[in-house]
Amino acid sequence: MEQSFQYQEQPESREVVWKRACHQCDLLLTRSHAPVGQRLQCPCCGAVLHRNMYRSVAHTAALSLTGLLLFIPTATLPLIEFSLFSFGAENTLMNGVMALFAAGYIWLASIVLFCSVLAPLAKFLLLGFICWGSAWVSMAKPVAKALRWYHHLQEWGMLDVYMLGILVALVKMSDLGKMTIEPGLYCFAAMMVISSATTVSFDAETVWARLARHAEIPRKPVVEPEDDPERSSGEGAA
Amino acid sequence: MNRPARALSHGFWTCLGCRQLVRVKPATHTCFCPRCGARMHGRVEASLMLTWALTITGALLLIPANVLPVMTVIYLGAGDPSTIIGGVFELYHAGFWGIALIVFIASIAVPVMKLVGLVILCLVVQLRLNVSPRQSMRIYRVVSAIGRWSLLDLFMISILVALVDMGAIAEVAAGPGSTAFATVVIVTMFAVRAFDPRLVWDVYESNKAESSAHSTSSDH
Repeated sequence: MEQSFQYQEQPESREVVWKRACHQCDLLLTRSHAPVGQRLQCPCCGAVLHRNMYRSVAHTAALSLTGLLLFIPTATLPLIEFSLFSFGAENTLMNGVMALFAAGYIWLASIVLFCSVLAPLAKFLLLGFICWGSAWVSMAKPVAKALRWYHHLQEWGMLDVYMLGILVALVKMSDLGKMTIEPGLYCFAAMMVISSATTVSFDAETVWARLARHAEIPRKPVVEPEDDPERSSGEGAA
Repeated sequence: MNRPARALSHGFWTCLGCRQLVRVKPATHTCFCPRCGARMHGRVEASLMLTWALTITGALLLIPANVLPVMTVIYLGAGDPSTIIGGVFELYHAGFWGIALIVFIASIAVPVMKLVGLVILCLVVQLRLNVSPRQSMRIYRVVSAIGRWSLLDLFMISILVALVDMGAIAEVAAGPGSTAFATVVIVTMFAVRAFDPRLVWDVYESNKAESSAHSTSSDH
């Protein structure tokens, strides 16, 4: 109340403590975090700025471990089987990539490999490492790096799209031969659900708050950057 | 003076890697985020130019993606290559109109909508159009959410190529159109990432300031 009163009276003063800016419309806000179990939305453009899930770190660690364990049967067991007369063929996660690669579609094969295998796997590994590593002060630097990697990788994991692709393939070929669902598909569906749940439960701000125990990770909402040349030379040496 | 405070005009930048608010010294061109170490700019560097370039690339690649065949189903030695729209019609004639609709939305409607949306967003910023920023944001959010679903067709092709491989009896082969289509999806995903939605609000604010200045000067 006091803060908003000051803002009304003397808008030019530097008294207002800005803590966050909306990443989509650049509106300055005096709050940076949502209370537990709620989310903070930008009043101007409606972007979700922060979603504070209950026990985010513990839940994400558990979910990413589940996802990693589910990855083993998904990658080794066949997903679907197609049989025609007495011939049969199985599809595993890597099979399609290898077939495309053998046919010379290297670019296509690498996109499919990245989006359906590497990105989801890396996502689980990174999130597991982030949640586990944030408990140790000495791990702050690698965890901060892992958080940046996760931020870039996040949208490239496309297990849900792949799932729909499997369904379309099932229907499309059903008049040609016999399609059977194999146990791997159930593991795949479970992994897809776990992957979405992991994305929802993860909250980077909570991890940053934990990392702030380390001296070099700033705790304050607003910080002055160090001088550019110093920083860049330090970056180059590292 | 009831204008909402924007970070850039108050000397703040937001790190896009970790969303940390950082106060920067005036006339800083670039710096590193003190929290996560990512390189920071006030606005995404060369955002508009990059978005234009990637959108135009995507639009040009959409032509071979739709004209060239994406997949050939050979059954008992016979079969002709089908394009994306051909595959949709095949599904429709086989009676799977629900699946046909899904494939149509994912591989034809979504890429076209995405490109149209990106062009509209670029035009709004480039020509400083006086449109509601909330509508532009709605376009931006739809465009960034739907993009990944276009890869559906490619995943399906990769599954079928592995699954239906029985020599002369039945075989599915990928076609050159699929490479072009994959590139369209990837390029447009990068285009959405390159676009900085804050530019829309910058244009809106400057338009509003201009019109209010205009109205006060005409009052005198």
